[in-house]
Parts: sequence; structure tokens; C-alpha cells
Amino acid sequence: MIIRLVSAALVAGFLAAVVATGLQLALTSPLIIAAERYETQASLSAPTFVSLVVRVHGGHDHGAKDPAVSGGETASEWQPGPGLPRMVFTALATLVGGVGYALLLGAVLLAVGREPTPETGLRFAVAGFLAVALAPALGLPPELPGMEAAPLADRQFWWVMTATATAMGLYLIAIRRAPISIAGGLVLLVAPHLAGAPETSHAASALPAGYAAQFAARSLGIAFVFWAVIGLAYGWAWSLFGRRTVVHA
Amino acid sequence: MSTNTLALAGTRTNERLGAVLVAAFLGLGLVFMAGFAPAMALHNAAHDFRHTQNFPCH
Repeated sequence: MIIRLVSAALVAGFLAAVVATGLQLALTSPLIIAAERYETQASLSAPTFVSLVVRVHGGHDHGAKDPAVSGGETASEWQPGPGLPRMVFTALATLVGGVGYALLLGAVLLAVGREPTPETGLRFAVAGFLAVALAPALGLPPELPGMEAAPLADRQFWWVMTATATAMGLYLIAIRRAPISIAGGLVLLVAPHLAGAPETSHAASALPAGYAAQFAARSLGIAFVFWAVIGLAYGWAWSLFGRRTVVHA
Repeated sequence: MSTNTLALAGTRTNERLGAVLVAAFLGLGLVFMAGFAPAMALHNAAHDFRHTQNFPCH
């Protein structure tokens, strides 16, 4: 069964990564690169959306704000070369993340005893989107480079806490469905936001607000498509590998 | 895969639990690597993905 699960997750992660990488390169990478230009040269006027030929944090002192966490980024740190290598590594990271999410989706479906179909996969994928994309984004909106405020460890802790609490809350509400668990689930959904996210950046920035708003909206849109493809493809691939096994058995 | 894979109902509980644990462990590991790993090389490689998927970055 684990082989079937992993196979389906690999297929789902791959398909989702193909779609999400295309969307990222078209919609968010140009904004990230534009933001990095502002970060590097705050006085740069009206940058154009050039092709993706800038290095990640190219040559600027990005870690200065938080050297303890970022380890004092220097030019000697390895980073993908500009242009194609950077796109390839973005695609690779998307693939790793996609397969990881697909494995988690598969584990959850199996744990709650639902037969994975495209419909069930999509339903649980929407829950995954709510847990790891939308709920954390309510407190920590998707950031362009240079917009970070609170220390990384605080933000990562709140992110993990919110994603976990939201996932558990959704499980209690949608799967358990008893009045008491629905009440508990609602508490879990709301608690991270009542506890409060680490502060977002209020500092004035040369980065146009429109870029940040556009990035946040596109980022959530891509995350939704990413999850939707993972869920649909996982359900499809699960039945595909099941059929093959039966045929060869 | 030697057991009947037509329906979840036909599988042994132990096998199911094992598969859930292995998949959850692998999945969390991969998501950690792509989204949270502090090593600078990994961070730089996954940079644009982390920003787009709203993982706290930097």
C-alpha cells in the first residue's frame, strides 16, 4: 500500500509542480525579481519587468537585519545562477514541495479511511490549502523580498502552529462532526489569530504597494491551483496504480 | 502490494498504519526541506518557491 501511496504522490506532486512552476515563473517570479531590485537599489525608478536573469539576493546584504537567523548571508554562499539555473531550482523546489504535500494528503486520506478519488482528493486538498496557505496568510501575508519584519523563527513558529491548528480544526469540524468537536474545531481555527501573528512590516518602502498586493493575490491563487492539482491528480493516480496492480496480480 | 488493493476495507490495519506513518514522515521531511530548511544553499535554491507558497523566508 505504501508503494501505491508513494507512486500516486509522485505523480500528483509532479503534475502539480509542472502547473505551479509555470504559474510561478509567469506571475510571481517577475515580482520577486522586481522587489529584489528595489531591495538592492532603493532609489531605482520605475523598474521594468525584465526577464528572470537576476540572482537570488544578488550581491546585496540581505541577512543584515537578522544575522543570527539567516547566518549572515554573504556572496560566498552558494546560490543558483541567474536565468535558467534559478528557474530550474525553483521548479525543483516546487517538485519537492508538491510531492511532500501529496504524501501528506495521501497519509491523511488513508488515516481517515477515505478511498482516494479525484473528488475526495480535491475536497481534502482544499482543506490543505486552507491550512497551509490561507490561514497562515491571514496573519503573515505573502511577502516579497525586503518586506520581512519579525524574526524568522517567530514567523516560522506561528506558521507551523497555525497550519497545524487549522488542519486539526478542519478535521474536527468536517470529519468528526459531533457538536462538541465542531466547537473545539472552531476554537482551533480562531486561536492562532487571537494569539496574534508576529508583526508584519510597517516600514515605508520604495517598493510600490501595488507590487505587494499583486504578489499576495497571485501567491494565494497559485497555492490554490497547486493544491487543487495535487488533490485531483492524487485521486486519479491512486485508482490508476490500483488498476495496474490488479491487472498484473 | 501483495494484498488486495481494490478497496481500503480489504487491507490490514497494521499495513495501513505503517503506510500512514511512512508517508507522513516522508511528506513532512520533503515539505521541511523545500519550505523551512535553514541551510543557506537550500534556502537560495528554493527561494522563489518559498516566497510564492508563503513560507516564512529570510
